[in-house]
Amino acid sequence: MVKTADKIEEEIRAIFSGDTPWVTIVWDDPVNLQTYVVYVFMELFGYSKARATELMLKVHNEGKAIVSTGSREEMEHDVARLHEYGLWATLQRGDQL
Amino acid sequence: MTATEGFKRHGDHSYVATFAESEKEVLLNLCEQIIELLAERQDHGNDDPLAAMVGITSHDSPPEDEVLHRLLPNAYADQVDASEFRRYTESTLRQKKQAHAISMRIHLKSSDDGTVDLDHDNANAWLGAINDIRLALGVRLKVENNSHEELELLAPDDPLRGVYAVYTWLGWLQETLLSALIDDADEDEETQLGNS
Repeated sequence: MVKTADKIEEEIRAIFSGDTPWVTIVWDDPVNLQTYVVYVFMELFGYSKARATELMLKVHNEGKAIVSTGSREEMEHDVARLHEYGLWATLQRGDQL
Repeated sequence: MTATEGFKRHGDHSYVATFAESEKEVLLNLCEQIIELLAERQDHGNDDPLAAMVGITSHDSPPEDEVLHRLLPNAYADQVDASEFRRYTESTLRQKKQAHAISMRIHLKSSDDGTVDLDHDNANAWLGAINDIRLALGVRLKVENNSHEELELLAPDDPLRGVYAVYTWLGWLQETLLSALIDDADEDEETQLGNS
């Protein structure tokens, strides 16, 4: 019991201190061109062509990929920018994947 | 009037394409349609003017129209979080998408000979606008369910055949602009590596 209470307290502290990382997920889409997805990752996140290509292939092959990690506010910002360029993106808590 | 060869890089961060009059008309028409479609999703008239001023909208559920839904998707799987996020961000997203299409329209309208010359930011606006148009056409073509092989085989009198032709042409046009942009980005990356 004590251990459980400690664990809960630890989780609550993590939430309030903003330690729990959030993630931005990009989902596979049959319309967006592969080259376009690579370019958007390079442009929005400053990723190298190699890194951006790797992420695009993960989205394509596995249906989704985590493209960035950070605070909730940062991930909301990333999702908004991805939506601006037509990528299908959502954010969620990293511990609820 | 020859068909366009797509975008080519002209010097540093300059991307040029020349369109035939008929191509220009098609692109302008598609831009107008996206601008109008986004405008249809106006905020309700009874909005709190102060809320409207800071970009808070009365929309907290996704658009019923399938195309608008794809252009303005949910940011969260959770419906409560998705609604809250939409209320605060959807009008900004709509404005940005409209701005991309308007930028494309201005370049086309102000070109007498069909030639457009884009800098890096303009190129990004064009990419976004072309992509939104492709997303919209993709919904109409049901690209989710129909394979490209099936779409290639549409009957000559099927109205979707023309839509599919425009959809693939836009994909090709976007690809030419991307390859010019990525060439530039590669060179910049190499220059930076060389300098470090």
